[in-house]
Amino acid sequence: MPENENYREIEITVFRYNPQDKDSTPEYQTYTLTETPGMTLYIALIQIWSKMDHDLSFDFVCRAGICGSCSMVVNGKPRLACKTRTNEFEDGKITLLPLPAFKHIKDLSVDTGNWMNAMSKKLESWIHTQEETDLSRIEKPVDPEVADEVFELDRCIECGICLASCSTKIMRDDFVGAVGLNRTARFSIDPHDQRTDEDFYELIGDENGVFGCMSLMGCEDHCPKNLPLQTKIAYMRRKMVKVK
Amino acid sequence: MLSRGYTTELLTGKDSSKRKSRIPARIDFLQSVSGLVLALFIMFHLVFESSILLGKDAMYMLTKVFEGEPFIQGGEPLIISVLAFIIFAFFVLHAGVAMRKFPSSYKEYRRYTEHKALLNHNDTNLWYVQIMTGFIMFFLGSIHLYIMMTQPENIGPYASSDRVYSDLMWPMYLVLLISVVLHAGIGLYRLIIKWGVFDGKDPKANRQRSRRIAKVLVTAYLLLGLASLGAYMRIGYEHRGEYGQRYVPGSGK
Amino acid sequence: MKIIYTDALVVGGGLAGLRSAIAARDKGLDTIVLSMVPVKRSHSAAAQGGMQASLANSVKGEGDNEDIHFADTVKGSDWGCDQKVARMFVTTAPKAIRELAAWGVPWSRIGKGERTVVINGKHETFNERDEAYGLINARDFGGTKKWRTCYTSDATGHTMLYAVANEALKRDVDIHDKKEAISIIHDNGVCHGVIVRDLINGELIAYVARGTMIATGGYGRIYKQSTNAIICKGIGTAIVLETGIAELGNMEAVQFHPTPIVPSGILLTEGCRGDGGVLRDKDGYRFMPDYEPEKKELASRDVVSRRMIEHIRKGKGVKSPYGDHLWLDISILGREHIEKNLRDVQDIAISFNGIDPADEGPKGWMPVLPMQHYSMGGIRVKPTGESTTMKGLFSAGEAACWDLHGFNRLGGNSVSEAVVSGMIVGEYFAQYCHETHLNTNTSVIEGHLEAQINYLKEILSYDGGLNIFDIKDEMRSIMQEKVGIFRNGDDLLEAVHRLEALLKKTKEITVESKSLGNNPGLNEAYRVPKMLKLALCAAKGALQRTESRGAHYREDYPKRDDMHWLKRTITTWENPEDTLPSIHYEEIDIMEMEMPPAFRGYGRKDSLIENPMSAQREAEIEEIRKTLGTVDRFTIQEALLDYELPGKLKHKNERVGVGYA
Repeated sequence: MPENENYREIEITVFRYNPQDKDSTPEYQTYTLTETPGMTLYIALIQIWSKMDHDLSFDFVCRAGICGSCSMVVNGKPRLACKTRTNEFEDGKITLLPLPAFKHIKDLSVDTGNWMNAMSKKLESWIHTQEETDLSRIEKPVDPEVADEVFELDRCIECGICLASCSTKIMRDDFVGAVGLNRTARFSIDPHDQRTDEDFYELIGDENGVFGCMSLMGCEDHCPKNLPLQTKIAYMRRKMVKVK
Repeated sequence: MLSRGYTTELLTGKDSSKRKSRIPARIDFLQSVSGLVLALFIMFHLVFESSILLGKDAMYMLTKVFEGEPFIQGGEPLIISVLAFIIFAFFVLHAGVAMRKFPSSYKEYRRYTEHKALLNHNDTNLWYVQIMTGFIMFFLGSIHLYIMMTQPENIGPYASSDRVYSDLMWPMYLVLLISVVLHAGIGLYRLIIKWGVFDGKDPKANRQRSRRIAKVLVTAYLLLGLASLGAYMRIGYEHRGEYGQRYVPGSGK
Repeated sequence: MKIIYTDALVVGGGLAGLRSAIAARDKGLDTIVLSMVPVKRSHSAAAQGGMQASLANSVKGEGDNEDIHFADTVKGSDWGCDQKVARMFVTTAPKAIRELAAWGVPWSRIGKGERTVVINGKHETFNERDEAYGLINARDFGGTKKWRTCYTSDATGHTMLYAVANEALKRDVDIHDKKEAISIIHDNGVCHGVIVRDLINGELIAYVARGTMIATGGYGRIYKQSTNAIICKGIGTAIVLETGIAELGNMEAVQFHPTPIVPSGILLTEGCRGDGGVLRDKDGYRFMPDYEPEKKELASRDVVSRRMIEHIRKGKGVKSPYGDHLWLDISILGREHIEKNLRDVQDIAISFNGIDPADEGPKGWMPVLPMQHYSMGGIRVKPTGESTTMKGLFSAGEAACWDLHGFNRLGGNSVSEAVVSGMIVGEYFAQYCHETHLNTNTSVIEGHLEAQINYLKEILSYDGGLNIFDIKDEMRSIMQEKVGIFRNGDDLLEAVHRLEALLKKTKEITVESKSLGNNPGLNEAYRVPKMLKLALCAAKGALQRTESRGAHYREDYPKRDDMHWLKRTITTWENPEDTLPSIHYEEIDIMEMEMPPAFRGYGRKDSLIENPMSAQREAEIEEIRKTLGTVDRFTIQEALLDYELPGKLKHKNERVGVGYA
């Protein structure tokens, strides 16, 4: 796009801090740049990084809303930066913070990977079955609607936004959050998984699991994939309460 | 004394059959059930209380019905005591199990409130109301229930009004009224979401509907409660000269 | 000095890396996966449309088997692939997809009764077989004879990656993320691990292992416009090149996908066209049938991309501030289909362009333009996945030139290759790690570690004033403009010269922050020279290859030249001080082919310089068939081309209605 004087200036204010550097103190830094048509926070941040401040840390991978790397707090709302267009903000002022509820790495970068892996392990987020699969044989048939239902929940991208929007997680770090509860719901409806409700109770039947959820719906209201998180948490809660 | 069951849980986090304790499930369920009972009770309570708006006779009659007059000559205020005790039991139970959700340290409290301020998210803000009103009711609800248990005879058009006005209980009742209506309304709405009761085919739309209904109910009950409180205030003010006198039905005085 | 020892070391946490790690764990080996990002964020997740495997469940896939998948793959590669590897691949693909199904990938399944689809712009209805009810469904994709691409809506890579990553976690594969491998530890031609930079605190760590697998994906980001994730910088490939010993193959073979959206370059899956979407020009005219009467929009990617640019050059492109583009129209598929099977496409179009592709008519058309998409080239390995020249170094997935794809990859064969090679190469890798004992000493390791520390310090001491980001941008522009879809000798020569000059300039930069800790500016400063080396390999390889094959198209040499160019480009970087790669060639023997070179069935018909050996081999094959008489297809196949697979992978695959035939 050619330079155009009709384009407005926008101000992006970023939380700067490097917890690994003893001399670093938390501060806010403001960058002014020219908004181009269709500009997203990905485009804006890459521009700041390559042209104005090589030391700014943030995480992007797919830049298409698929991988869940770039979650950050944009004017108070946790969301995916790559899918956030700058022209949404009428006053042209955007404040960016790292995602709360995760270990802070630097500036806008947080450590989601280790938390998510630990959660996946804790909830044994894989198929449990006694059946041996002979890979040469025709696969087990699955009702197409059930497969679609599993897929619907499998769409989670572990972006961490549900946790950053969750009061329980903010107060209690061990809470598995909507991402974890949705994961158990996903396996509980998967016909390949032979686990019973009793088995799932062992994983989420406590205050770090489904009974820790206060139904404040921060998760569902901010989920960038529009997953039916609250509905599935309620589903698991009803199941777990019935476990003898 | 060593209780082997509990000690096993203390050491392993599991019960003796190596299962995770079922208590959290029971507690979660109890919290909801006790909350539901209390909310329903409050809904009726405020309606009955508003009988004063239909006149002193109406209120007097209703009081007597609750004292069991249709069966017992002159009514038995002890019945109110017993009722109040049952409600108090639910109240304590609910407070006890719901308290586990409260921020349990200053750090948690700060994290919650700062996060809430940052997020400015509707349902998250509402929970702050729940914490605050719940906290208030610990005290005010207890006082109110204690009075009802110990002085059940002091319910009536004049007795109640005197308490509200002359005994200077109205500020407490005002705060209690607002707290209880908000807490119950938001609590009911939360219950619906928590258990997915009216999720139906389109949970998002149905939640919005539940929310609207809850809002209407809270407003209606607040207005009703305030009107009743106003009525007791007015009667108490007019009756301040004859403080302590009981209402004689049909006298209009 | 921090040194971490393990049995099996996998660099790269995408599908290929994680599946290989599982193979290693299943042998009881201690296994570490290193990844720049949390593994579930790997670029595998971005694969949308599907995975090819000849299950033949759907009526539209009836009759499909390994042989047809093999033929499609070989034709797609423009006979550049290793047919032995292609055989290994097609035999294992059905097993891979069945394994993934058992691991919970919610593949779209076949329903009961009537199914309505859009073919060639028209609605068609057919009945699925009852016995196929509930089995894995498939959609049509480019360059395939049968409907063979299995899918989960348009988030196939995502569901596959999550299933495989979770299986890795189940097996206690040790995942270390935010770690970047910046150099290979090797000694006497044997690889002993990698030097890693911790991207959180900048610490350098030596990871030492019996065997090392590089599965770091492609190098698409050397181009200005690419569908690749921004981590696809090819650093894993580059550090292998920098050993001076290990070789890269076919680096000039770069695929351009026909339908990334303009201007963001985010991919819109081939499933759009597979499901019946069409391409239109500025007049709304569907032009592909004019160029490719048979396969139309569903010719192979290299062909469709070239036809699109050809059409734009005729003045039929739609003008925009971002240059000319064409339209992709999927509105004809109907809203219901789009919201179920192409929902990410819809989400992308709405989020980034404000276009709802389900809207009927021109309103719903999405602007598209071919852009870099896939790297066929990579670390040259044997069919076992081990480097041709360095022991203990393995590679799988897009990072490798295993050589399944030759000069053009078919859509749906990438995630498929990733898991299949994870199974096959992963198994050979695991065997190697199991049998081999670590044979190195700490002074070798420390030497490598120190060299990297010194290198980073050297970068920080540069004071030439240049901005590394400017150098990177220039490299990406050169690649875009001079080493793109249409190439010619002059442009390529210019590209090589300019890239070489840029490489020299990387020593004249200044890095602002002098911290050896978390320093994103420093990250770029050591990555760009590595990227430039890969760019030089691609540009120089393209310059020297005076023919057109698959995705490599020379306007000055428009014919595929089987006489002179039936060979693989092999690139090495002999001395660290060199500013250009060294290139030699590996012959591909027609006489060992199961399917000798011929016309692909799409693309230009008159653009072939035939090798007489093709006819000779054809006759030989005819003779073998005649001698064998009436035997099953497996016997014929074995007689034509011998290949091996580990364990049970060579077993026959069962199919609905035909059993193991």
